Amino acid sequence: MVKNKKEIIEIQSVSKIYNLGQTVVKALDNISLSIYENDYISIMGPSGSGKSTLMNIIGCLDVPTKGDYKFNSELISEMNDNQLANIRNQKIGFVFQTFNLLPKLNAMQNVEVPLIYSSLGKKDRTERVEEALSIVGLQDRMTHKPNELSGGQRQRVAIARALVNKPSIILADEPTGNLDSKSGNDILKFFSKLHKAGNTIIMVTHEESVAKLSKRRIDIFDGKIARDE
Amino acid sequence: MNRVFSYLVDAVGGVLFYFGQTKLRTALTLMGITVGVSSIIAIMTVLATFEKQTEMLVSDMKTNIFYITKDNPIDIQFGPSTGRKGRIPRITWDEYEQLKRTLTLTTNMAATTTEEPSDRTISVGKEELKSRLASFWGSDGDVLSVSKYDILDGRNIQDIDIENSRRVAIVGYYIKEQLFPYSNPVGQSIEIDNIPFEIIALTEPKGELLGQNMDSMIGIPISTFLKYFGSKGWRGRPDLQLILEAESMDSLADATDEAIGVFRAIRKIPPGDPNNFYIATNDQLMDTFGGFTSSLTIFVGLIAGISLLVAGIGIANIMLVSLTERIKEIGIRKALGARRIDIFLQFLIEAILISLLGGIVGIILGLSFGSVVAIFLEQDPVIPFDWVFYSLQICASMGIIFGLYPAIRASRLNPIDSMRYD
Repeated sequence: MVKNKKEIIEIQSVSKIYNLGQTVVKALDNISLSIYENDYISIMGPSGSGKSTLMNIIGCLDVPTKGDYKFNSELISEMNDNQLANIRNQKIGFVFQTFNLLPKLNAMQNVEVPLIYSSLGKKDRTERVEEALSIVGLQDRMTHKPNELSGGQRQRVAIARALVNKPSIILADEPTGNLDSKSGNDILKFFSKLHKAGNTIIMVTHEESVAKLSKRRIDIFDGKIARDE
Repeated sequence: MNRVFSYLVDAVGGVLFYFGQTKLRTALTLMGITVGVSSIIAIMTVLATFEKQTEMLVSDMKTNIFYITKDNPIDIQFGPSTGRKGRIPRITWDEYEQLKRTLTLTTNMAATTTEEPSDRTISVGKEELKSRLASFWGSDGDVLSVSKYDILDGRNIQDIDIENSRRVAIVGYYIKEQLFPYSNPVGQSIEIDNIPFEIIALTEPKGELLGQNMDSMIGIPISTFLKYFGSKGWRGRPDLQLILEAESMDSLADATDEAIGVFRAIRKIPPGDPNNFYIATNDQLMDTFGGFTSSLTIFVGLIAGISLLVAGIGIANIMLVSLTERIKEIGIRKALGARRIDIFLQFLIEAILISLLGGIVGIILGLSFGSVVAIFLEQDPVIPFDWVFYSLQICASMGIIFGLYPAIRASRLNPIDSMRYD
């Protein structure tokens, strides 16, 4: 693997252990992983393999029980809730399987949400929102509410929302899982475009066809990395 | 600052959206606040209206004046009367004359008897006054200047009128309007219970005070009153009210003490027994009214307080319901970078806005209801701005107090679990 690119994520001997009363679940078992700038990674694995836990930790939604996690050389594993929120806001763009748009807000307002938590002025926010929505080709759907948009359009709004704060990485959790194959393909083409434009993309999927499009594939099994190539 | 403004815009949108989605539930919750606030504002509107009227009354009164009457003229109280037991004698002309002879510290003294309202027939020829006469008085004093009436035309009652029990009358402007619409009544004749009187003066229009038409008034010398109306008709022998004037504010206390002593002696009240008459200065009369308004304020405050407490619990409840309905939204917002404080403020601002909304509706209803009551009592309604302000403050505080727990709970939600919640 080419290692001359900048390292964004460094995961070292990370374990995540859930204590569910009597039973102890080892969701991640001593995983080490590096992710570089402009990587396009798919993470695969059956359900219960720990890939969601890995995504949550990479996405700073959760902290590991053991081990170190560094994001842009900052030690995430020792950050508090507010510091994690700031990292999520500034450095990470989330794309979810179920889109997770706020139903009462229109496309523009949905895309604006991350900017609200980043202390940007209203004028700058509107500019950025319009820019992000035109990148995903929804400049003529800006005032539509999610229920007035198709599944593919909703996911594009979600992608615009993920891009709006110009994050270091885009984390996509089964982004095509709720879409028909045509819309799914459109979204995947779009990810390829983003990758070519220099973005770093990490995508969780269980579809081989989807994983094939990425440049690097990591298989998780029983909380361990089974394959990384 | 930008963030807080964004929350505010966001929260207003959120509340409006939420209100639209759950109209009935929100309306029922708001009703508690609305009832509480509107009852405060309605009562305060009525009280403010009356307070303004009383202030006008006070400014009309001299401060070195005191009264001896049978009862407290402004005796408004809750519950059973704490007053004297037994029969309270009316103040008679004899008592008045004895008092007048004995008092040394009182520079001026007048006796008045008033029928308010009066059922006497007032007529000019065949024309009769259709409405009831609001005030019919007899006096040997300068009632006009004490009550701040100005003579528009004619002359005041003079000593010679009293000495000779002359049938002369002063009429208010309403009497002219009703019975002499096209002529000057001064010098003309008017019949009171079919007894003819000569009109010697017409007073300037005075309008209304505490719901009474001040211009529906006829005054005659007290001697004439006692002679023609003293022994028959309305409640038998007239009850006199004595108006006494001390030399100055400083001698007012001494003059009152002297009057009490002398009047007790005239009535032969044994030492230790309470007075069987009422004596008060203008200030004391106003204090009675002040006491009434403040006890009413406490009473209303208590009712409103209970209603607001119930309403506050309703707000806490609706915010908790709103919280469980929006767990997913909170999760999404947190994933997108909302910190605890962001979610906390979002919920708190919503709670405050909901209670303020209820409060504003309550204020509007209360002002309308209070004004209707004031207008019904023929008063110009006065807006109690202080209470409008307090109500908004109370509502905002309620939003904070009862929104606090739901807001804290919302802010502590875990983003991963919340996003999975459906």
